[in-house]
Order: sequence, then C-alpha cells, then structure tokens
Amino acid sequence: MLDEAGFVIQSERMQSDWAAENLQVIRTLMERSALYRRALAPIMLTVGVIGSLAGFAAFYLESRSVPTFIVFWLVTGGVALGTSFLLVRRQSMREGEPFWSPPTRRVALALAPPLVVGFLLAVLVLVSSFAERGWPFEPKALPGLWMILYGCAICSAGFFMARGIRFLGLLFSLCGLLSISLGSLDLDFPTLLVANICMAATFGGLHVAYGVYLYFTEKKKIAA
Amino acid sequence: MNPETFLQLDRVIHEKGRLGIMSLLAASPDVAFTDLRDALGMTDGNLTTHIRTLQEAGYLSVAKSFQNNRPLTTCSLTAQGKKAFADYINLLEQIVQQNRGNK
Repeated sequence: MLDEAGFVIQSERMQSDWAAENLQVIRTLMERSALYRRALAPIMLTVGVIGSLAGFAAFYLESRSVPTFIVFWLVTGGVALGTSFLLVRRQSMREGEPFWSPPTRRVALALAPPLVVGFLLAVLVLVSSFAERGWPFEPKALPGLWMILYGCAICSAGFFMARGIRFLGLLFSLCGLLSISLGSLDLDFPTLLVANICMAATFGGLHVAYGVYLYFTEKKKIAA
Repeated sequence: MNPETFLQLDRVIHEKGRLGIMSLLAASPDVAFTDLRDALGMTDGNLTTHIRTLQEAGYLSVAKSFQNNRPLTTCSLTAQGKKAFADYINLLEQIVQQNRGNK
C-alpha cells in the first residue's frame, strides 16, 4: 500500500538526494583539506600592477648600477609579497576561515625554497659588488635566474592549487631561459634597460594577463 | 533501488562529524588536531569523542609529538580507514547512480 502511494519512490529519491549532498560535502571538505582555495585573481592582478608600475618607475629613474637594480627589484618583490599576504588574510577573515590553514602552509612551504635561493643569489651579487670583488656570475643573468626560480616556485605550489597555475610557472621559467639565452648573445643593448623591461614584462605583464584570465574563469567555477 | 546498498553503509563513518573527519584526513597524509577542530567547527571534547570512535574501529591513528616545545597531536587514516572510506564513497555513488537509472 505504501508502495502504491509512492512512499518508496519518494524515500528512494530522498536517499539519492541525501547521498549526492553527502558526496558534495565530502568533496568540499577534501578540497578544503588538500587544495589552496583563496581567489587568486585579485592577488595576481595586484602583483602584476605592482610589477608593471615598478617597471615604469625603473625606466624613468634610469637605474644605472647593478646594486641599484637588485635593491629596487628586491624591494618591489617584498612589497608584492606583503600585499599578497594582506589580501589572503583579508579573504580568509571574510570567509571566517583560519588564515594559516594546512593548504596555505603547504603553498608557503612549496614557494619558499626557490624564492629564498633567488634572494640569496641577489645578496651574493650585492656582497660581491660592495666588496669590489669579481662577480660570482654574470649579473645580467640574474633577471633570468629570478624568473626560472619564481617559475619553479609556482610549479611546486601548483601541486596544492588549481592546476592552471603550473602553466604560469612554466611560462616564467621559459621566459627566464629565453632571457639568459638572449643575454649570452651580447646584443648591443643597454643591459640594465633590457633587464628592467624583462622584469616589467614578466613580473608585471604575465601576472596581469593571468589575473585577467582568472578574473573571468574563477567566477564561473564558483557559480558552477 | 536495492535497499541492501543503503544498509551496507558503514555506520561508524556515516555520522556527520566522523564523515567530516574522514573526508579531511582522506585528502592529507596527516592533519593536526587543532586544524581538524577549526576546519570542522567542533569543540575539543566532541572531536576527541569522534576520534576515539574512529580509533576503536581501526580507521584512524593518532600520533603525539612536540613542535617548538609544544605538544602536537596529529591524526591520519590507517590502511583500513582508507579502504573503509573508499568503500563508503563507492556505496554513495552507487545509490546516486541507481536512482538516476530508475528515473
């Protein structure tokens, strides 16, 4: 009788809905545990704008020495890192989630080694410059090395983030390789000018381009 | 739909709180007690009770260590727990599939 009244069918549907909802909750929890889920578009756009502005500033200020170039871009990197930190913190506070969550920790740990190596390479060149010794390596290779290391950092962090970001890391590393290859050709360019343009194009341009791409795709993903 | 499928669901995992713990642990090698508590919004006592139940079922192992001179409790799934969780997910998927087939 209950069967005829559709009771069983109704309860089957309820069970199925419940099962589908449970699967969705499980998926969300697993992603929360494993993947870094903060919106990256605002971070990428902000870092890109900072990189581009720094590129214009370097162009107009006409930094003429290697130490000035290094300090200028290290400060820019520090500002970009600090701003990203604040943006991530604001997002996590808005969503009522802990800032230093396991995925954030994993992303930070994956980013750290290549970024620290890039920083130490810059310090090495700076120290050699102030001690008036020979360069440990050609300083014009530094922007390329920074790009390669930054690309490696993003690729490593990409294992704990949305998959697309690893492509950005690969692009950075390829740009770094290209920059080093062009540097070895001894082209007749004012080297620091080219280096500043390379830095603005990659740390500014690539970030802005990826940020714009994410701005349109991330919203769709959330809506889906 | 075969009601047997529904009855096969693991009662230990099926409870909402424990399902949350299992889901978080299934995606990470290990998770700190405090991270589990914050992610699931549970009280210390509630989480401890659920962890104990999962431990008694052999699904979860607890390791105690020190980090920066402070005690650190981490939880991870055992091989048995991973299998039980995978079976649970498979059964849920079967329930959804069966109902889609009936529509």
